[in-house]
Order: sequence, then C-alpha cells, then structure tokens
Amino acid sequence: MNGMIPGGWNFVVAAYSVTAIVLAIYGASVIARLRSEINRRNHD
Amino acid sequence: MNVDNNRFPRLPWIILGLGIIFLAIGSYIGLFVAPPEALMGQVQRIMYVHVPTAWNALLAMTFAFVCAVIFLFKSDWKWDARMEAAIEVGVVLAFLLCCQGAIWAKPTWGVWWDWDPRLTTTAVLLFAFLGILALRKFVDDPARRAIWSAVATIIAYVDVPIVYYSVRWWNSLHQLQSSPSTVSRQFWLPLRMNAFGILFLMTAFIMLRARVASMRLEQELVPPPALGETA
Amino acid sequence: MLTAALRKELLLQWRSRAQFMAVFVFGAAALLLFSFAVGPVAELLRQFSAGFLWLGLLLSSTLTLAESFHAEMENRAMEGLLLLPANPRALYYGKAIANWLQLTLLGIALIPVMVVLYDAGTTRIPMLILVIALGTAGLSAPGTLYAAMTAQVRSKQTLLPLLLFPLIVPALLASVKATSLIILGDPMNQVRSWIVLLASFDAIYWSLCGLLFGKVVEE
Repeated sequence: MNGMIPGGWNFVVAAYSVTAIVLAIYGASVIARLRSEINRRNHD
Repeated sequence: MNVDNNRFPRLPWIILGLGIIFLAIGSYIGLFVAPPEALMGQVQRIMYVHVPTAWNALLAMTFAFVCAVIFLFKSDWKWDARMEAAIEVGVVLAFLLCCQGAIWAKPTWGVWWDWDPRLTTTAVLLFAFLGILALRKFVDDPARRAIWSAVATIIAYVDVPIVYYSVRWWNSLHQLQSSPSTVSRQFWLPLRMNAFGILFLMTAFIMLRARVASMRLEQELVPPPALGETA
Repeated sequence: MLTAALRKELLLQWRSRAQFMAVFVFGAAALLLFSFAVGPVAELLRQFSAGFLWLGLLLSSTLTLAESFHAEMENRAMEGLLLLPANPRALYYGKAIANWLQLTLLGIALIPVMVVLYDAGTTRIPMLILVIALGTAGLSAPGTLYAAMTAQVRSKQTLLPLLLFPLIVPALLASVKATSLIILGDPMNQVRSWIVLLASFDAIYWSLCGLLFGKVVEE
C-alpha cells in the first residue's frame, strides 16, 4: 500500500541521501585532518 | 594501515566500521523491510534516521557539556580536545537534524519548517554551538580559548531546556499539530540499529577529531625553540 | 565592594551619555526601518510592534554591551582592576547592573517611538516597564559576560552578537509575547506566565554568569 502522501518516496530517498552524504563528508574531513596532522608530526 | 604508533589508531576504525554496518543494515530494514505506516505512508521511514540522529546530537552536546565542566575543574588539556571534538560533531548532527526535519516537514505539513519545538530548539542549539566554534577560531591563546569556550558551552547547554520550553509555550498558542510521532513497537528494530549505527559513527568521529585537536594543541603548547614564547 | 564597582560604572556611563543618545537614535532608526519591511499597514504594524521593539532593543544592546568594556580595554585597566584585592564577581555584577539600567532606560525611551510609529499605545505602562526591565536583565547578564570575553579578541563586533543571540532566545520570546499581550490585550491573563519565564531565565543566568565570570577574566 502506498502512503497517503504522493511522491513520499522521493522525500525518503532525499532524507537518507542527505544523511549519508553529510556523515560521509564530515568523516572524510576528520580523517583528512588527522592524516595531515600525522604527516606534519612525522616530518618535524 | 601500518603498525607504527603515530599512524592511525586502531580502535576508532573498528568502531567506525561497526557504525557503518549497523547504519547500513538498519537503513535497509527501515527502507525495504518495514511496512509503510498507516497515516503517513512512506514518509514515516524518515523517522528511522531522524530519531537516531536526534538522540545522538543531544548526546554529543551533553558530552561536550560534561567535558567543559571537567575541564574547568581539572584543567587537563585532554578534556578541551574532547570538548572541541564533541562540539564540532554535535554541530554536524544538529545541522543534519534540521535538514532531515525540513525534508520530513515538506510532504507532511506542506512547508519546509513547522516550528516544532524540538526542531526549533535544535536550530537555536546549532547556532549557539557554531558561535562557540567561531569563538575558538578567534582566540589565539590556548588557555583562554579553552576556558572561554568551556564557559560558553556550559552557558549554552544550560539554555537548552529553557529554549525548548519557551518555544513550546510560544508555539502552543498558535499551532495544534503534533511533532514527529512516536514510533510503534513493531518498528523498533530499524530505529535501534540506526541509533547504534550513528552512535558508533559519532563515537569514532569524536575520538578521531579529539586526536586532531590534541595534536594541534601539542604543537601550540610546545613550539619549536626558534620561536621562544611558551604558554 | 559591589557598590564601589557599581558607582564607578554609573559614573562612567554618565560621562559617556552622548553615547547613550547615539544608541537611542540607532534604536529609533531601527524601529523606523522595521516598519518599511511591513509597509504602511496600520493593523500589521500594531500586531508586530512588540517584536519590533525587542528586535530594536536587541540590536542596540550589542552596541551598549560592546562599549561597556571599552574603558577597561583602552588603558589595560582590566588587569589593574583585577590586581586589586577585589572580587571579580563584584566587577561583573557592577557592570551587568549598569548595563541593565542603561538598557532599561533605552527601552523606556523607545516606548513613545513605538507608540507613534506603530500605533501601539497601552494604558498598562507599569506592566510594560516591568517587562522591559526583566527582558533587558536577561540580555544584560550573559551579554556582559560575553562582552568581557570578546573585548579582548579579534572580530569582536561579530562575535558578541553571534554568541549572544542564540542564547537569549527564551528571553526574547517571553519579552515579545508579554509585551504583545500588554499592547494587544490579554483576555486570559497569560502575561503572568511569560513574566515568570523571564524571571526564571534572569535568576538562572544572573547567578550562573556571576559564577563563571571569575574564570573568564583570570590570567
């Protein structure tokens, strides 16, 4: 049975995608910063 | 990954992996296995990520508050680093929460923002903690930066329940609509899995980010001999 | 101790009363500009008059609060003050009270501007003044703390509002609601609950900020 709200599936996909993308981008940025700190320390 | 101590620590990676797995499974169940809800249909599925994100955002902010208090008592830099990490992760989760909330609100209420007290409080919290991150960027002295942002974190966190209740009163005079509804028992599995998934991800992020903060602090507190001035 | 600090603050403020005039003109100008946002629709203007008044007060408060540590910063007087065997808490409360008084006066001065521009008259003037006093107290307590911090930092003009505005949301909501009820009518006597909320906010933040101020200015 489809929901009462038409086009609801699009919003669901949007919400899940936004979640995945934001978490992935933030995770990547933390890892990148950690990597650069480690490199900096190794080269000092 | 190499075995060297200065390379990436192992534990956060394990936790990160666990988080991704839990989140993937929980989302799969929430998207394809759980039946659509009677009234709202497919849109209800958004709750399976929205509610876990909300729990964890509040958890991150609470942890930031705890770190702030501990730092003011013990003056141990470790807690300043953890606080910085918790604030940043909390900001990311709060931002995510507002996005999810808007995406949920549009099909449900027809508007992108419905002044739901919880979401509105999240928005205020988001700005408050963004301000604290900005404060940290503009203060150069590490000791002051740590103390001031700890004080600001305590003040902001104490405000959270006050903001929530005042928005609820303010809102109740105008609207009768209910907030994102509670989820009935049969839908708990994807909710719990995602909650753990995001919890593990968040923990890993905070651990890694705190490590970054610690390393930066180390460099600030013991600069190369050529510079002279020390804290 | 506190009275000495307070007396010094009030004296400083009296000496810079031209600055108060400037802030008043700023606030009045803000109220004028807000009316352009809505248009010359008397009904709407009256309905939003409370909101405009408090937004105007909030914006003006950033000027007042930032100024309040100006004297200390100018001559590094802050360190001198802290070297005295005086309690930093007295310094804080002296400044916070002085700021509060100035903001209350500003609010009262803006009432006639509001009445004229928005046709927002009311007979309940004492109640209105009470709300203004409680609301500005809510601005002054955290505002003075943050002003002390940001006075010593780059980009201070941006940081003070950035930190203050999210924090005082409850005080703003309560003040606007209470003022609005006073101006537009309050059949169910809800003003009392909003005043209680304001008073609680003030109690919490006047104590919390006083407690934490010592940490903020210690070296």
